Amino acid sequence: MIFSTSFDTMAFIDLMADTPLAPACSILPKQRDHMSLRFIRKLLSCTALFMVGSTLPLYAEIPLHQQIDALVGVGNEQFEKTASTPADDATFLRRVTLDLTGTIPSAEAVRTFLADPSTDKRTQLVDQLIASPEHARRLQYVFDTMLMERRPDKHVPATEWRNYLRNSFWDNKPWDVLVNEILTADGTDEKTRPAAKFLLDRELKAEEVTRDLGRLFLGRDLQCAQCHDHPNVNDYLQRHYHGLNAFLNRSYLFKNPKTKKTSIGEKAEGLVSFTSVFTKEEGKTAPRMLDLPEIPDPANVKEPYKVKPAKNVRSVPVYSRRLQLANAMTNPTNVAFQQNIVNRLWAMMLGRGLVEPLDMWHADNPPSNPKLLALLTDTLKQNDYDMRLLLRELALSKTYQRSSHVSNEAEIADETDFGIGLLKPLSPEQLAWSMMQATGLTENTLINLKAKQIKADPKQGPQQTEEPQWQEEALHTALNRNVTTFVSTFGTVGAQSSQFNASANQALFLQNDPLVQSWLVPSRNNLTARLKKLKTTPQIAEELYLTVFSRYPSEAETEQVAAFLTDTETQSNQDLQQLVWAALSSDEFRFNH
Amino acid sequence: MRRNQGCNQRDHHLARRQFLAGAAGGAVGLGLLDSPATAEKIKGQHKRVLQVYLQGGVSQLESWDPKPGTEFGGPFRAIPTSVPGMHISELLPYTAQYMHLLSIVRSINLKTNDHRQGRLFMEKGRRAGEYPYVGSIASKYLAPPNSELPGYIHISTRGLSDNTAAFLGAQHGQLKFEGVKPPKNLAVPKGLDQTADARRIQLRQQFNTQFGRGRSKSMTESFDASFEQAAKLMGRKSFFEKAPDGKDLERYGKHDFGRNCLLARSLLENNATCVKVTHHGYDSHAENFNFHLEQLGEFDKTFAMLLSDLHERGLLESTLVMVYSEFGRTPKINVRYGRDHWGSAWSIALGGCGIQPGATIGVTNEKGTAVVDREIDAGHLFHTYLQALGIDSTNDHEISGRSIPIGDPTAQPIKELLA
Repeated sequence: MIFSTSFDTMAFIDLMADTPLAPACSILPKQRDHMSLRFIRKLLSCTALFMVGSTLPLYAEIPLHQQIDALVGVGNEQFEKTASTPADDATFLRRVTLDLTGTIPSAEAVRTFLADPSTDKRTQLVDQLIASPEHARRLQYVFDTMLMERRPDKHVPATEWRNYLRNSFWDNKPWDVLVNEILTADGTDEKTRPAAKFLLDRELKAEEVTRDLGRLFLGRDLQCAQCHDHPNVNDYLQRHYHGLNAFLNRSYLFKNPKTKKTSIGEKAEGLVSFTSVFTKEEGKTAPRMLDLPEIPDPANVKEPYKVKPAKNVRSVPVYSRRLQLANAMTNPTNVAFQQNIVNRLWAMMLGRGLVEPLDMWHADNPPSNPKLLALLTDTLKQNDYDMRLLLRELALSKTYQRSSHVSNEAEIADETDFGIGLLKPLSPEQLAWSMMQATGLTENTLINLKAKQIKADPKQGPQQTEEPQWQEEALHTALNRNVTTFVSTFGTVGAQSSQFNASANQALFLQNDPLVQSWLVPSRNNLTARLKKLKTTPQIAEELYLTVFSRYPSEAETEQVAAFLTDTETQSNQDLQQLVWAALSSDEFRFNH
Repeated sequence: MRRNQGCNQRDHHLARRQFLAGAAGGAVGLGLLDSPATAEKIKGQHKRVLQVYLQGGVSQLESWDPKPGTEFGGPFRAIPTSVPGMHISELLPYTAQYMHLLSIVRSINLKTNDHRQGRLFMEKGRRAGEYPYVGSIASKYLAPPNSELPGYIHISTRGLSDNTAAFLGAQHGQLKFEGVKPPKNLAVPKGLDQTADARRIQLRQQFNTQFGRGRSKSMTESFDASFEQAAKLMGRKSFFEKAPDGKDLERYGKHDFGRNCLLARSLLENNATCVKVTHHGYDSHAENFNFHLEQLGEFDKTFAMLLSDLHERGLLESTLVMVYSEFGRTPKINVRYGRDHWGSAWSIALGGCGIQPGATIGVTNEKGTAVVDREIDAGHLFHTYLQALGIDSTNDHEISGRSIPIGDPTAQPIKELLA
């Protein structure tokens, strides 16, 4: 019998009352298009329970994004009243293009999308974006920032690591496989060396590696549990910290005397014990993942080494605790690992985590929507840690597609309810690429690059330069310096926060730096050059809004542009340039809304 | 409940805070420092900070804690100062005349000999973790509401850019001046006049007004505030570019440090909140004595002039002066006549706002190899600096739903130094 004792009987009875046919699950697929949201939600409040407890895909026919929507707002009677309306097509296009490909859409893309009459155009768009090389680049940026936190290079060059990440996302490498590679690479094999950056660039320092394993892969900042059980967070214990630490306490950095390259060596002995600075209680632990069982070393090993320690020799034990780390981390029993990535992907798309801060997961700071979290975690597990699938479904959900705008100022819904689209500040990379896109630098550069390549290779060139991957890579190489400038101006080194702050030197950069100003000078077919050719102010306003704000202007907005342009007697390049500048520096452009 | 003490990371108080919020409602969420009355009081006095950072680690034996005639004492003598009984190195003859305005702490033990760790500990008052620097805290809690200058300015000729503000937010991060050069991008772009500049800013605001309707303001406000701050800096462009007075330059010295200190003085006079001047080059692993002769020769007169100017102009009462490094230097002299990194027994000087002048805190042993009395570390200094400025360092930062202790709860201020 599928309805176990854990079943929420109230929900069940409700569900029966709503539709007499409900218990016959097999008919649901046919009916789902006509089902009310309320019904699905009720249905799912039980589905989610089942999915946690069993692997039976009871209502698997209902797409995940609908299941998500059914769980958002559950238990809040007022939810439907306070939740904002769906975002219009233009807003959706801009939002999802930024989130999935890291830049705003071109004016042409906006025109095409808005004119497209097909009813499933949002789904088509998401599928198209997620299959693009720009999507792999976007995830490269997101995960590089997440995992390396913009720290300066130490042992593994950032370019190699970033290529490794990008290729992994291009192949849609499952998260557990990716993490497994990152945690097992020791840096000796050139092929896998880029993946070793996480450990090598932290120089295996326990206070960095152990802390970051907890924060970035388990959603728990255990730093305070290094010297004593966490004073304020009852769930964070000293043995959690040292259990993680025990995976790596035998590993050390080894510098090859010939190649001068640093890799990871490991010894076959070394135990982890700890004493609380408060209670003086002593503890010992073998490697362990939070509250999962300890992983004992094999007993009675006669020869513990594959390669014995000696001067200038990288020792390799037969039994490696470090290699156990990747297994234990990605083991299906390690729920924290699954929840963490789900929460981080949710935060990337929705603007804040189900648990926020992302690395403060504990009983007194529980997920705002546990059922939803369980649903997502379970889906991820059942689908082999397929992040692309999860991102796709998030993008298709009504929840993601809600407007960030309410008509009545007094009723801005609570952020944790996800009843309203949250503003997301553009990352430095998103800001750079969006400005280059809006000003027309991207397009102009691509035209130049294509011409150059065709000239260099008249045979293959014409075809090659039409390939999306070639274009993405060529543009990235040509424009990466600008991205770096934006990262050093707008990025922060160290633990990334979802809090937004802006500084005076960032504003000065936007206002006066020659770089941004140079993109405003009319050239070939860039934005200001196009605006200059237009005869009437409504035309100018339309082109400006489509290109910079990715939407058509309202009448009032057209008038505003007209007023700005006719305020001076002679219309100069400067007026048009500063018109574009004001739009680029506006709040609407600075945030994904 | 578990004991509420210890290393107290930023997150410790999250759980407690939520408990309180549930029990007592929003009022608890307002930290004392953010409550209007306290903030007003602090701002009314407009307290300031002058930090002189001797980068690389100045030798305590050649400055604040000389041990002439002992095994590791080195070649320099100790000289009397304006405070009876207080002696400092003969390399600081000018400063010696103003010691009645300063106090010395001779018993610092940081338990680290690492440049970066020592520097971060001295700036943040914590050994590890992401916490704001003293300067960023000053910017957050002491800067007047409509301050014309950013809260934390660092004059340096090189060095790294740290994330000094941590969770306090980018607007409280240090604004770096490369020497006396003003910050980048202060001039409007070529081809734009002031009218055109004002028009584009106005248009930007028009765009924002429309966008802001029916949306939460928390993030857009921070973004817009950064433009206001930028405008104020641009308005000060000529001030930053003004050449120093010839007579002043004569007194302070025509070298970079002299010019940087003159700039620091005018910034403080113009209501900057925290100004840090870095004097580079104390990491004397070789030729320690020649290096200190040269370095402190530059530092001594300039610093003494700056200190006396602040005093004469009535600013010292409201300005905390800190002279510090990331650590001191080994008593043991190495084979290259150098002294190495030494965090275990070294000194700093401080004075001005809230600090008892003319005091000497702590004692090292005869050879200067260990602290024998009143051992303190950077956690204690941090509390001392902030409490001297009237900031209750035992309070919490209240930042977006987290309560984070301002100073390390396991450390206390040096009470006898507080005026």
